Amino acid sequence: MTRTAVIVCPGRGSYNKPELGTLARHHGARRELAAFDALRAAEGQETVTMLDGAARFEAARHAVGGAASPLIYAASYLDAQALAEDIEVAAVTGNSMGWYIALAVAGALSAGDGFRLVNTMGTLMEAKGAGGQMLAPVWGEDWRPDPARKTALLAQVAEIGARPGQALSLSIDLGGVLVLAGDNAGLAAAEAELEAPGPRLPNHAAFHSDLVAPVAAEGRASLPATMVGQPERPLIDGRGHVWWPKASDTAALWEYTLGYQVTEPYDFARAIQTAAREFAPDLFILTGPGGTLGGAIAQSLIAIGWRGMADKTGFQTRQAGTPILLSMGREDQRSAAVRPA
Amino acid sequence: MDRAEIVHENFLRRVAAGDLPPGNPPDGSLTDTEAVALFRAQCLSRAFDRTSRAMQKAGTGFYTIGSSGHEGMAAVAHALRPTDIAFLHYRDAAFQIARSQQVPGQQIAWDMALSFACAAEDPISGGRHKVLGSKALTIPPQTSTIASHLPKAVGAAFSLGLARRHPPEHRALEEDAIVLCSFGDASLNHSTAQGAINTAGWASVQSTPLPLLFVCEDNGIGISVKTPKGWVEASMRHRPGVRYFAADGLDLYDTHRVAAEAAAYVRTRRKPAVLHLRMVRLYGHAGADVATSYLSRAEVEAEEANDPLLHSVRLLDAAGALTPEEARAIYEETCARTDRIAGEVATRPHLATAGDVMASLIPPPRPCRPTNGPPPEARAETFGGEFKAMDQPQPMSRLINWALTDLMLEHPEIVAMGEDVGRKGGVYGVTQRLQTRFGPDRVIDTLLDEQSILGLAIGLGHNGFVPIPEIQFLAYLHNAEDQLRGEAATLPFFSRGQYTNPMVLRIAGLGYQKGFGGHFHNDNSLGVLRDIPGLILACPSTGAEAAMMLRECIRLAREEQRVVVFVEPIALYPMRDLHAAGDGGWMTRYPAPSERIGLGEVGVHGEGTDLAIVTYGNGHYLSRQAAARLGPRVRVIDLRWLAPLPEAALLEAVEGCARVLIVDECRRSGNVSEALMTLMAEAGRPATRIAAEDSFIATGPAYGATMPSADSIEAAARSLMGQDG
Repeated sequence: MTRTAVIVCPGRGSYNKPELGTLARHHGARRELAAFDALRAAEGQETVTMLDGAARFEAARHAVGGAASPLIYAASYLDAQALAEDIEVAAVTGNSMGWYIALAVAGALSAGDGFRLVNTMGTLMEAKGAGGQMLAPVWGEDWRPDPARKTALLAQVAEIGARPGQALSLSIDLGGVLVLAGDNAGLAAAEAELEAPGPRLPNHAAFHSDLVAPVAAEGRASLPATMVGQPERPLIDGRGHVWWPKASDTAALWEYTLGYQVTEPYDFARAIQTAAREFAPDLFILTGPGGTLGGAIAQSLIAIGWRGMADKTGFQTRQAGTPILLSMGREDQRSAAVRPA
Repeated sequence: MDRAEIVHENFLRRVAAGDLPPGNPPDGSLTDTEAVALFRAQCLSRAFDRTSRAMQKAGTGFYTIGSSGHEGMAAVAHALRPTDIAFLHYRDAAFQIARSQQVPGQQIAWDMALSFACAAEDPISGGRHKVLGSKALTIPPQTSTIASHLPKAVGAAFSLGLARRHPPEHRALEEDAIVLCSFGDASLNHSTAQGAINTAGWASVQSTPLPLLFVCEDNGIGISVKTPKGWVEASMRHRPGVRYFAADGLDLYDTHRVAAEAAAYVRTRRKPAVLHLRMVRLYGHAGADVATSYLSRAEVEAEEANDPLLHSVRLLDAAGALTPEEARAIYEETCARTDRIAGEVATRPHLATAGDVMASLIPPPRPCRPTNGPPPEARAETFGGEFKAMDQPQPMSRLINWALTDLMLEHPEIVAMGEDVGRKGGVYGVTQRLQTRFGPDRVIDTLLDEQSILGLAIGLGHNGFVPIPEIQFLAYLHNAEDQLRGEAATLPFFSRGQYTNPMVLRIAGLGYQKGFGGHFHNDNSLGVLRDIPGLILACPSTGAEAAMMLRECIRLAREEQRVVVFVEPIALYPMRDLHAAGDGGWMTRYPAPSERIGLGEVGVHGEGTDLAIVTYGNGHYLSRQAAARLGPRVRVIDLRWLAPLPEAALLEAVEGCARVLIVDECRRSGNVSEALMTLMAEAGRPATRIAAEDSFIATGPAYGATMPSADSIEAAARSLMGQDG
């Protein structure tokens, strides 16, 4: 009996102190690591093996775009290669930078080209990405959907963002939490005026907004469209759109990846909802590193009442029985997703 | 074995064996990825035909009319743009699925499964009906009587040209869009289809822009009746003004190539065309229909042997786009996927209460740009010498004309259409000078076909116009009333209010034309307009009130997106006097453009407490004559609004009156008086009625013999009041 699963690749912010050593723990023997390291070395960058093998986690060294991105890519991509035999991958998706990983996991990019894409965009964002991101919760602790609050908050964000001399916009919809992108003035205004502003995300640029349009342009200039091929698995993007194997316009896929995807809001919730509704999988499998995106996956499903889940308790109850979500970055759930060693 | 299962097994077996039906090689009109994408759409459509049958067996699905055999429509979708409004045949699931790939972020499998399950979350109908349809994909929901969607497709196509010249505030369709309208070979024979195609040609030969692509999906049979061989082509090849294209609907490539040619012709030439697609129908008409009960097994098997999915596998293999093994894997994965999705949608809630079902009967209001009324300078220029006459009492026909003029000055999205409304100015002169004032674009002389008139209005409504169609006589409505009943009134209901077709339909009607015309010009039954859910029926009786009610009707259409019917009593058009020749008692002054009579407001004349006469239209006029003879003990209540009945206002208006007499110029059976008697009885208010006999109207001197008269009203009133004491 196979288990159908949608693979979810995490975005920036998923490789933190607890994740240090992840690659060595789970994938030390994988030959792809050597290839990734070689690509980094050729660029004169510290290898992912060295970063992962550091004695201690240093934000300035590990959390910056040029380091976190390839680390996350390596861990996530290799997790997706380690799935148990009985898991049938119905589709692949990701959050934000996780989209780049998803392209590789779905087979639209080779492992090396996926790494190159992530490394290039991570480095460009670190060097040239303007603005920043902050969180803005729209649901309470119980994860009960509150569409009215979300609508009101989006209206407030639009109002702040429309003021002269400042920028603020929706960056990512994570279900019960929104990520906002803006320049410093826009983010400061949000912090001052929103009813319950969340923290800023250190080392993040204003991803998925106009502010990073120059980075998108540089990405398009430095990464050839010929890198991308047909996905081998259905691939769900940040609009909830499905790119089907052998049926995708690869030029359009590349254009989306280094265009709309970079400069327009990323609707992760919609991607998860499309995954649920269009593929009705038994499982969502969140690859490592870390497991923080699990909450957003759960919230995105709760938002559409998937399998009767109405709030956090409903989700937890389901997880306690036959889980709908396995996070490979969590040791207690990883074993259910991976091939036995 | 069930034919659906046989077709499924045949597919798997024949693909595995490489036993594919013969046909032309792929013509290169699709790239490999396009072809595979269309094959995927075909597979999803087919998978739902199977899954929907399983859902029905499990009690979780409620519809089994499938698209199997018609999956070539995926290629037609690919040849069009997702902004080309599509009025679809019910076998066009593959069209909608293929179109969904053109608009990012669709959840097409889920949406279709919700629809089969009649789940309340179905995004198009909200669980009210299994329909194809999507707001995001510009596919209005279509569940209809046969071919009833063709007239509005003609109207929508006409609206595209009109909107270029007069863009309405709520324009919904893009400037270079075209309209698609598909139907089956059996439906082609329906008079509604024939009328619409004729109208399209009639407009086309006069160089009226009409970018409309008809698609006739010819599977050779309508439920159990075969279409004569070659019939569709013979019928359609030589239509004036309508270009004929034909393709093999079993061949994705050929269908796409020809559909693209046809679409390009329609788009660039702005002329109608028909695309004739030869197809097969697999399985029966619907789940319960067994094709072998009226076709020989050999005939059924011959159709099955030409399964378009098998042709697609052959073509994709020949093109090098997909091996048969890969095609079979896609088919099987898709079937497994729809089965999983069916399991999930089965848990979604359904509508339960009457309130749930009725929630979308009435469309939502829409914000409209405020206006300050018709601009004074424009009025002065438009009315010219007539301005002076506005201070003088005038008959109703003139005041309606002025009200129409003011409304058209104020709202450029208003367009009037009907037989003889333009150059002639209407049979009774009500629309005189409107075409001179507003041009033939906005005051359209139509051909003699009421379905086309209403279809034109519905189509214009889809694109943001506020149409005022006219039906020349009430009796002429009946051959076209399904356009109101089955189409216009149901559109918000089946689309959760996402699609609307507001209009104010003017109909000249009712009796008392002093011997002229007989039944067909004096029809006195409104029952057919009173039982349509959501429809508003208005009937004025004086000129000033007609003007003020018409303004409210336009507001209801424009701002609240309602379908309104405005019945104008012909006999009152020219009426000048009330009690005696020359008294001018029925003429009124033109009310200022800002004055309106709100929906549900009734008119009360007199303060009598012995008797309330409840009436409308000509009955109001006659009752006022009778009341004058009866003296101050009587009050006359003019209903004005006949559907929905202004129940609360009426009960308030009869308050304090000892007795109620209902006067109805329409026939006793099925008309307003029955509803009023019921209302009064339920409210504990005994009432008596006089109504027209259940007869047709005679020509000549006996024209009024079957209807109430001032004398009969007076007699009935005296009888009632006499009983009182």
